Amino acid sequence: MWRSVQRWRGVVIIGTMAAITLWLAVTGQLALYIHPRYNVFTVTMSIIAVVLAVASVAGRRDHDDEDAPPPRRSQRALGLTAAAVAGLFTLGMVLVPPASLSTATADQREMNATAGGDEESLAAAATADEASIARFTVREWAAILRQTSDLSFFADKPVTDLVGFVIADEDDPENVFYVSRFVVTCCAVDAQPLGVPVHLPDWAATFEPDSWVSVSGEFASNPSSSSLQPVAVIPDTVDPVEQPREPYLF
Amino acid sequence: MLGIALSILVQVWIPEHWLLRILPRNPWGRRAVISLFGMFLPVCECGNVPLARGLVRRGFTIPESMTFLVAAPILNPVTIITTHQAFGFDDGILVARLLGGFLIANVLGWLFSKHPDPHSLLSGRFAEQCRLDDGHGHTHTRREQTLDLFVRESSILMPALVIGSLVAGGIQVIVPREVLVSLGSDPLLSVLAMMVLAFVISICANVDSFFILPFASTFLPGSIVAFLVFGPIVDIKMLALMRTTYSTRTLVQLTTIVALMSAGLGLVVNYVA
Repeated sequence: MWRSVQRWRGVVIIGTMAAITLWLAVTGQLALYIHPRYNVFTVTMSIIAVVLAVASVAGRRDHDDEDAPPPRRSQRALGLTAAAVAGLFTLGMVLVPPASLSTATADQREMNATAGGDEESLAAAATADEASIARFTVREWAAILRQTSDLSFFADKPVTDLVGFVIADEDDPENVFYVSRFVVTCCAVDAQPLGVPVHLPDWAATFEPDSWVSVSGEFASNPSSSSLQPVAVIPDTVDPVEQPREPYLF
Repeated sequence: MLGIALSILVQVWIPEHWLLRILPRNPWGRRAVISLFGMFLPVCECGNVPLARGLVRRGFTIPESMTFLVAAPILNPVTIITTHQAFGFDDGILVARLLGGFLIANVLGWLFSKHPDPHSLLSGRFAEQCRLDDGHGHTHTRREQTLDLFVRESSILMPALVIGSLVAGGIQVIVPREVLVSLGSDPLLSVLAMMVLAFVISICANVDSFFILPFASTFLPGSIVAFLVFGPIVDIKMLALMRTTYSTRTLVQLTTIVALMSAGLGLVVNYVA
């Protein structure tokens, strides 16, 4: 019993994880965890893992390490505990439905700290045509807001159907929220929140934090007296929407 | 999985002593070349553990396996590109990371090469496996060896990887990051805070630059360098994984040396940059 657990626990864990990864890939949910550029690599590694796991089980035989002396009681307990904990975690991967990152993660990270942009991109945004501006995502607006709060810049640049999830502005949570997206470089571990402030008094009466919305409106001086954001969207419409198939920006 | 696959490749499919033959005979030269293996095997630190185990089984000395393990996550093309994307050449962060990783790996390898009984550096179980391998020779087919190694390595490494990740994740939830961030402007404390953060976060070296980039505005450059050098070598997840191969005493010594050198490097950058 001990030797079987000791020997096969890794194969079960890696085989199960690989199978779940393949299922996520087939159902299009891998984007909840990794950047799409790594899909091929991840799927390839998972296929290799599944093939090796199946071949190992199919071709099992006596092994050299059966000559090894039996482990001490404490080692045996530790090994079984490790197998049980790792097994429970793997089972959790099977039972808990896949989900995107939420405000719980955003609260642990600084909003807009990685909003990029430079003078060149700001100049390009300044001269962008109406159709291009209408396609701006949270990433483009967050980069612009990081570089300028000059209201004249925003004069002829309305926000159109800006999609993101709701995070309360910690400085004025009653009146201001961010319409937010996570930007992922490699995987969900490195996700960084970007957001565009929206001034909508008592917004929490209508929308839950983490709910997905589509915002249209105009930028203006932020009416909030306590928010640190000098510019915010004054919305014409804020509509609830479904979470996009790819919730992160890549 | 990539680490285990490469480990199997090195142990079963690459001709015995082929790797050893192409290395310089001089110990310093050998370690210097080994510390650049990551340029051709761009695996993150978790994957380097099975590879380092494979190198030991293939005849590399134990200190040489440590040199590889320490250097490879930092001196590899993916890490170099992502660090450059995040920081460019600002404040010497990229250069300090690469030189620091190379220096620490080689000093560490040199120090452990002075050990009178290198096999005592290994964990009891891994030392026993190496002994069994030596005793049995290779009478199995390559296919059988491949499957045996896959079963054995995954059995040892996967629980360690899962538990290390669980502990790292749990601590991140419990310890507020504001505590660490509040120390950011002090030359010494900022370095120590970033090393603690690196230890807790246990993030992959290939992407840690993007993770730490938001801190660059509040933390001194030396502390960012300490994070980028210390984290890929020593963190909760890596300690759990390295314990499969090295003894607890060895890991305490390794952690102490790497921490002191990373902190020293961070302080130098803070006062020079």
